[in-house]
Amino acid sequence: MDDRGKAKLLWQVSAGYRLIFATAILAMAVGYVFMFGVPLLARLAIDLITAPESLTLPGWVSVVAPDVDPSTNNLPLLIFAAGLTVLLTAIAGVFLYFRGRLVALASEGIVRQLRDRIYSHLEHLPSRYHDQADTGDLVQRCSSDMETVRVFLAGQVVEISRATLMLVIVLPILFSLNSEMAWLSLVTMPFLFVFATIFFQRVKRLFLEVDESEARMTTVLQENLTGIRVVRAFARQAFEIDKFAERNRDFRDQNTRLIKLLGVYYGLSDLICLGQICLLLVAGAFRVVDGTLTVGTLFAFLTYVSMIIWPIRQMGRVLTDSGKAIVSMGRLAEVLFEPIESQHEIAPAGRLSGEIKFQNLFFGYEPGKAILKDVNFSVSAGQTLAILGAPGSGKSTIAQLMMRLYDYDRGSIELDGYELSELKRKYVRAQISIVMQEAFLYSANIRDNLKVGRIDASPAEIERAAIDADIHESILRFPRGYDSLVGERGVTLSGGQRQRLALARALLKQPPILILDDALSAVDTDTEATILAALKERRKGQTTLIIAHRLSTVLHADKIIVLAGGKVVQSGNHHSLSTSPGIYQQLCEIQGAIQQQLETDIIDVAKTQ
Amino acid sequence: MSDFYDDENFDDGFQENADGRINLALWQQLLGYVLAYPREVSMLAISAFFTAICEIAFPLITRQVIDGVETEGADFDILFYGAVYFGFVVLLAISVASFIWFGGKIRTHVSHDIRRAGFDNLQKLSFAYFDFRPVGWLMARMTSDCERLSNILAWGLLDLILGTTMMIGIAIAMLWMDVSMALTILCVIPALVWLSLFFQKRILRSAREVRKTNSRITGSFNESIMGVQTSKAFVKESENARQFGELTDNMFDASVLNKVQAALYLPLVLVLGSIASGLAIVFGGLEVGWGLVTTGTLIAFLAYARHFFEPIEQLANLFAEMQMAQASAERIISLIEADSDVADAPHVVMRLDTSYPPNLAEDGYEARIKQIQFQDVYFQYDIGGPVLTDINLDIHQGENIAIVGSTGGGKSSLVSLLCRFYEPTAGKILIDGIDYRDRGLHWLQSQLGVVLQSSHIFGGRVIDNIRYGRLDATDQEVFAAANRAGAHDFIADLELGYQTEVGEGGSKLSAGQKQLISFARAILADPQILIMDEATSSVDTVTEQHIQKGLAELLQGRISLVIAHRLSTIRNADRILVIEQGRIIESGSHEVLMELGSRYSKLYRQQSLAAFSTTGDHWQT
Repeated sequence: MDDRGKAKLLWQVSAGYRLIFATAILAMAVGYVFMFGVPLLARLAIDLITAPESLTLPGWVSVVAPDVDPSTNNLPLLIFAAGLTVLLTAIAGVFLYFRGRLVALASEGIVRQLRDRIYSHLEHLPSRYHDQADTGDLVQRCSSDMETVRVFLAGQVVEISRATLMLVIVLPILFSLNSEMAWLSLVTMPFLFVFATIFFQRVKRLFLEVDESEARMTTVLQENLTGIRVVRAFARQAFEIDKFAERNRDFRDQNTRLIKLLGVYYGLSDLICLGQICLLLVAGAFRVVDGTLTVGTLFAFLTYVSMIIWPIRQMGRVLTDSGKAIVSMGRLAEVLFEPIESQHEIAPAGRLSGEIKFQNLFFGYEPGKAILKDVNFSVSAGQTLAILGAPGSGKSTIAQLMMRLYDYDRGSIELDGYELSELKRKYVRAQISIVMQEAFLYSANIRDNLKVGRIDASPAEIERAAIDADIHESILRFPRGYDSLVGERGVTLSGGQRQRLALARALLKQPPILILDDALSAVDTDTEATILAALKERRKGQTTLIIAHRLSTVLHADKIIVLAGGKVVQSGNHHSLSTSPGIYQQLCEIQGAIQQQLETDIIDVAKTQ
Repeated sequence: MSDFYDDENFDDGFQENADGRINLALWQQLLGYVLAYPREVSMLAISAFFTAICEIAFPLITRQVIDGVETEGADFDILFYGAVYFGFVVLLAISVASFIWFGGKIRTHVSHDIRRAGFDNLQKLSFAYFDFRPVGWLMARMTSDCERLSNILAWGLLDLILGTTMMIGIAIAMLWMDVSMALTILCVIPALVWLSLFFQKRILRSAREVRKTNSRITGSFNESIMGVQTSKAFVKESENARQFGELTDNMFDASVLNKVQAALYLPLVLVLGSIASGLAIVFGGLEVGWGLVTTGTLIAFLAYARHFFEPIEQLANLFAEMQMAQASAERIISLIEADSDVADAPHVVMRLDTSYPPNLAEDGYEARIKQIQFQDVYFQYDIGGPVLTDINLDIHQGENIAIVGSTGGGKSSLVSLLCRFYEPTAGKILIDGIDYRDRGLHWLQSQLGVVLQSSHIFGGRVIDNIRYGRLDATDQEVFAAANRAGAHDFIADLELGYQTEVGEGGSKLSAGQKQLISFARAILADPQILIMDEATSSVDTVTEQHIQKGLAELLQGRISLVIAHRLSTIRNADRILVIEQGRIIESGSHEVLMELGSRYSKLYRQQSLAAFSTTGDHWQT
């Protein structure tokens, strides 16, 4: 990602907030102008006290307090200076409050925009992208990189503008007070700035090492906790304690090393900062003796320098962190500039009837590695098609292509005569209900998980679907029934229960086409029979694709195709396939052999009786 | 993600309370971890003290210089005072570096020690403890809570010493210079204390809300990526985006609230500070005019008026932090101090402390297990009804037992009892006639080899994972074990063979490969008791035949309990137990049970008729 890309992204997501940001900076500038008036008042007060005779009052003083003679009665002027001190600080405070508020609105607003955008973008990226992406890495981009950008906007941008504004406002004041002293005030600042910048550049690597050693420790902890059964079963507690102790110690020592370096840094930079003030004090004192500087002005210098020197000390750190923010911005931009699934296709009005036709279809996830080779089959509306095949033969790929999760390379898939690739993805997906091999459930309660099938489903419909998927009884047995949370903080579901929930969810959708992608593999055969019967009852004119490897599942399909090596090697129904030579017949024969063996067992049993 | 468990979604009985009282006993207990470093603590205290002294000294020296040049003019030795000032600057720089050194050392060491104590105890706690505490919850205690508490302890101690010394020191310095002016300025203090407590509490509370929402957002991202196919399939993108939008709206509100609170607090403190300065200007100005104090004193007062506020802010912040972190402290203390309900009784510990001839076990009994008996065993978990009822069972040396039955019937619980992961609620389990509670826990568990349904693989190399079974095994022994488990071939095909890194949790291996490795691990352990919980379900048939061969050999002379669904495994067992609803309803060999014609024969028949896959011969329920 080049810098232009990052800048472009920042520009895009800051739309609507740039003016707020600018106002915030302006408010800050005004606030500091007022705030920097305060030391001048103190100077006035001090000079008034120490050298009233030589003091030439500024013109505005005679306007607000015309009758005062400072050499005889300075009380009104003192009260005036004190009151103005509070007033100026209060005005500055109001502006600084607005700065804080506006910066918060702008930075949080931009980040919200960025979060919403990347979230929705991730959901619309093609499956191919997600296949190759590393989940942990993506989550990290969305969380820690996002946080880095947020801190940059809310913190570093403000810090940098603060230091700059302070310098811009204070320098003219300092030079107008006494240019020699002004130069002296600036003597150490370049050193301080360079020292801080170099230091933080240098320790950047150490920060990284600390993070890494923490991650190593966390991994051992996590593995120990998730594998506690294995640890106990092999009585490896002592070994685990040693292993953890090592990582724990390593993290401790790395971290200590970093903190010690930071200690050196803060010590040294304090030395420079306070040395600067010491220098001013001494130089100023000589000038006071000379009479070239008033005590009040010396005080003003000391105050101003101690106000601006700390933000400048922070600059080294801020600039280093900003470097991180630029890297993070790039990592977010990489995801956001990734093209999403095409959206321009047509969406016919109304429902499809559910007629499917595959013609000369070729497809591979990676170029040159064809998974489906010249696949041809058709299903009329309302029919049930079973797809059999060994793992890796391309069964699930057919389901994924039909969902338009991937785009095919050659050949054609038609739904109701429409070429699939010319139909809008969301339209196609709304027409198909699928139960996938690995059922994904959301970390919500069971009812909300089922409602994913249809958001406005009534409680009765939800219950009906759960009954048909033979999961209703199990749900009622959970402590909070349909309101039980799914996942680590709620009920733990078995593989079979997950599959049946996913099925119930798919049933609620009631689209023209239903695909069961090895969806009952973890369900026992009794239950499977019950479910299949309920499905038969339920589907009114629904076209059904069943992908399976159990014969019992496919037995009653209108049509069966057998896939091998990405090709349709057989098609027909149970009767025709079991009577003609081929894989299907072999499968039936093996099953026959099993039955035979079972019968011998039973005969053996009978004999011994 | 570990922060996820800090929120109210997981009810662990500990309450976050920003208004509660500080529980001193609790913090004292934690302070014990800090006091384990007496040298560092005293160095921290000393350097904090000197830092405060320097901060107090600077305005006093400035005062000296200004008064000196005012009164003595050119006779005043500016350079001498400049040198003194610089001396304090050096002292301050050293003190600052030193308190960061020692504070940092205390922080990292305390965090390390608490974590270590927690980890050690977690290794002792029984499974009952883990049943109701998700891994994420435990992780949050051991990571973020530890860091948070050690931060409060170390830097809190610093703030406490530095803050109090500075406040007392400044107060003394001001009173020493001029009592009436000092008292005038100190009037502002109560308002400042109140203001700081009021805001710090609220700022921390809203910061917490921000953190909580943030971890939910991370959770949402994670879920959206993991479930992207499902979301696409159900065209759930806009609904998801709507829900996510609610979250980011909450985040926006919480963050802005937090910032606005801070934006309000800071100017108010500034204004209070300017009131103090204003008072100093008026009263100081008058007093200088009357000749009661010098100009230098006035300037010192102005400087102190600015400095007095930092320690108050810091102490208010510390106080609020401690209130907020109290629940964390309670959680972690509860984790460190939890007692295991499965542990060696005192009389067993005494036996373990004695040494015995090498042919005996570490607890002084016979090392060889000849018989295991369950006598009228009942069992239930802490929550829920009875799991096992009236179990009576005799297992002899070398016997291979298969356990079948419905899910949730109690098969795994029976095995867990045997492993003494839990102990019976009633009844006894005897090993060679001795109640196993009278024998060493570590000894019994060292005799086990366990292969679970979802095999747990540790990050690291293949060879380390196998060697987990017996830590002192030679490479040759590891290879031999892998060979017998049928794992050698696939391992040899890996890029670096046995040296291949398997990734976190074995992420670079397939489920079947993980199974084979955990098999090899169990074989290497050469256990007296072998436990397998549906261990072969993810292995393909060819591989399974491989394993079966090795297994037959392995099972020789060992007690084995196999929870299995595959008929081949079940049929060859010496005895089959059918467990339904917590009871052993049938027990006997395959032939006997088939003859019985009851539950087992029904199960067997069902499976053989229907459980069939196109991969050829994949049996399962």
